[in-house]
Amino acid sequence: MTAATVPSFDRSRAIEFGASAAIHVALIAGLSLVLLGKPKPPPPPAPMDVTIADDVGLVATAPQNETPPAQSQAPELGKPEDAAPAAPAAEPEPVPVKPAPAPKTAEPAPPKPRPAPVPPPKPAAAARPQPQRPAPAAAPKPQPAKTRPAPSGALAGIVGRTGAGTTPGAASRTPRGSSLGGVMSGLGATPNNSKSSTPKGATMSAAAAMDIGQKIKQQVQPCANRQTNPGPGAERIRVTVRLRINRDGTLASRPTIEGHDGVDGDNARYQRQVDDRAVATFMGCQPLRGLPPDLYDVPNGWSNFLLRYKLPG
Amino acid sequence: MTRRLPLIALAALLAPAAQAQTATAPTPTPTPGGLVVDVEGGISAPMGIAVPPMPTSEVVSTPAGPTDALGRQLADVITGDLKNSGLFKPLPTGQLLNVPFAEATAPNYTGWSAAGATALVQGYVRANGNGTLTVGCYLYDTAQQRELARQGYVLPFGEWRRAAHKCADMVYTRLTGEGPYFDSRVVYVSETGPKGKRVKRLALMDQDGFNGRFLTNGQTIVLTPTLSRDQRRIAYLSYLDKKPTIYVYDIASGRQTKLVTDVSLAFAPRFSPDGRWILFSMAQNGNTDLYRIPSGGGQWQRLTTSPGIDTGGSYSPDGSKIVFESDRSGAQQLYVMNADGSNQQRISFGNGRYATPAWSPRGDLIAFTKIGGGFHVGIMSPTGGGEKMLTDGWQDEAPSWAPNGRVIMFFRSTQGGSGVADLWSVDLTGVNERRLPTPFDGSDPNWGPIRTD
Repeated sequence: MTAATVPSFDRSRAIEFGASAAIHVALIAGLSLVLLGKPKPPPPPAPMDVTIADDVGLVATAPQNETPPAQSQAPELGKPEDAAPAAPAAEPEPVPVKPAPAPKTAEPAPPKPRPAPVPPPKPAAAARPQPQRPAPAAAPKPQPAKTRPAPSGALAGIVGRTGAGTTPGAASRTPRGSSLGGVMSGLGATPNNSKSSTPKGATMSAAAAMDIGQKIKQQVQPCANRQTNPGPGAERIRVTVRLRINRDGTLASRPTIEGHDGVDGDNARYQRQVDDRAVATFMGCQPLRGLPPDLYDVPNGWSNFLLRYKLPG
Repeated sequence: MTRRLPLIALAALLAPAAQAQTATAPTPTPTPGGLVVDVEGGISAPMGIAVPPMPTSEVVSTPAGPTDALGRQLADVITGDLKNSGLFKPLPTGQLLNVPFAEATAPNYTGWSAAGATALVQGYVRANGNGTLTVGCYLYDTAQQRELARQGYVLPFGEWRRAAHKCADMVYTRLTGEGPYFDSRVVYVSETGPKGKRVKRLALMDQDGFNGRFLTNGQTIVLTPTLSRDQRRIAYLSYLDKKPTIYVYDIASGRQTKLVTDVSLAFAPRFSPDGRWILFSMAQNGNTDLYRIPSGGGQWQRLTTSPGIDTGGSYSPDGSKIVFESDRSGAQQLYVMNADGSNQQRISFGNGRYATPAWSPRGDLIAFTKIGGGFHVGIMSPTGGGEKMLTDGWQDEAPSWAPNGRVIMFFRSTQGGSGVADLWSVDLTGVNERRLPTPFDGSDPNWGPIRTD
């Protein structure tokens, strides 16, 4: 019984399949022709830097609507040399690929230093893709957004990648060569194609830096005072933490541990705990308030600074 | 959740390497002109922590009680461990909200932070079909709003307290930087009866004083027990047959074996770290010296020869050295020598006499009893420097180290004729003295290593 019906079924299916295949081929060919006929492909998304933070504490703090300011000009061009890359094992998860600055697309790189105040062709935020993750605010998980827009500012190219996959106690940074030169000149490790017109008039004077430092210290001191001493000798450790701050004073990415002083054989066991307390000192008392907006992303501005913390004694 | 598991495992694997990297990183030279903010602050106070009852996926009756009750008891034991360390200040029970099962891995950071908890310990308990219990333990930082550590334990119903101790150890090690010590046991001498007719029994208990049991019936006096590193044997002094000598008790079989035979007086046994040897003192021809004997029995070897009493030997954690007391200078003082008896050097020079030295499992300190105007427990470095007294009781003696070298247990005798002794512990910093809740009086505590069975 089934033997009689099956062949005819197969035959009709075969016909259907053949027709379908033919239509698909025609469709693809047609579409290809249409695309080929176009003079230019649509411009790819504007390049951006993505910071991959392992566990980022606060939600909805990323400056998603901000346009990174244009890079400041530098006397020397060329990106800082990277030292030997960190061991791949130091990455807890694959780093989402940053959209590479497309070499031959809509915005050919100008041969000379870019004029700063060019009106952006469109709101950068709208064009910026949010790779792989929803907005942090919508994340229901305890460990929200792992992807962040680049910290804005001239330092974005450098700092934007240093936080990849770190925890405060286990910072793994990409060792890089002449990053300080890059910082000073405003050159990042990667080009920044932003056309933001953020004015660059203000500069950080020594007095202004001292004033900002005082303001930050006053704000975080109450949280420092709450930190508990884990054990004898921990008070000899001084930890240096790099903090990247958003314009609204919130933390832009997970703090990274830059180094320690005073670690010896007797207190090394407390190093990670002092790291935790340094980070908690800032986390508990953010966002920073009352800092001058015009000194946010100038060279040495408060968008990115070092906090050195130690327990008393 | 399923996606995060491999991440966590990976992070755990990577942590040591990453930490090693930060350990070697020197403080960077700040960018010239870059903003650097120096902040100093902190307190020597316990850290606020919350340990709410652990929810259960389904209330199941078990031989250890229903799983919802177990969830509360687990939290209580963890709370007790952390509080007893002196380094944590758990939120009082009244401030603890019940955590729904789904929230165990998705904590309410802001709520707990507002309640004063810097750290949060959550978990869950589940009864398995095969007579075991699964306990999950999660540690969160409420300021950084992230998970710091997690562990899971599967164990028989009757051993649920160990899951709590293991969880407390995870929390303690991550937040303090010290090694674990809650999942460990203590062997000691339990004392009952009137003075002059004391019944002294060998007893074994968890470090928090629970799960105690007696190993001997008290018909003969036992003294100075010491637990082997593998925790299978206890060496001690027994007056069996009226001849005080050293016996070894096998915990699994309950069998007692006389180790040192045909001598008039052998005492103060201590296992070597590798368990191969037992160090002891023996009086021969009016001279007491240190000897060692294979822990399974055999021929002893003499390690010291000086006139006077050499006793109270304790091995360094690597087994290469021995600290002991000797009155060769006229009064009891501490000496350090190589494990073969060579290179004997006096390390204590203070006023008073020094006795019962115990080498820290960390290797960095030696605890002792100092005699002079009372008995007090103190510490010094293995070269004799940095002497510091930790206790100030009427009669505190016989210190023994927690497996992490941060806490010391000793026994304290009351002033007066009653001669009652109890077990106490004190933090290395000299604070947080507390009495252990043993059912009877106790003396001669010996703190075993972290359990691995």
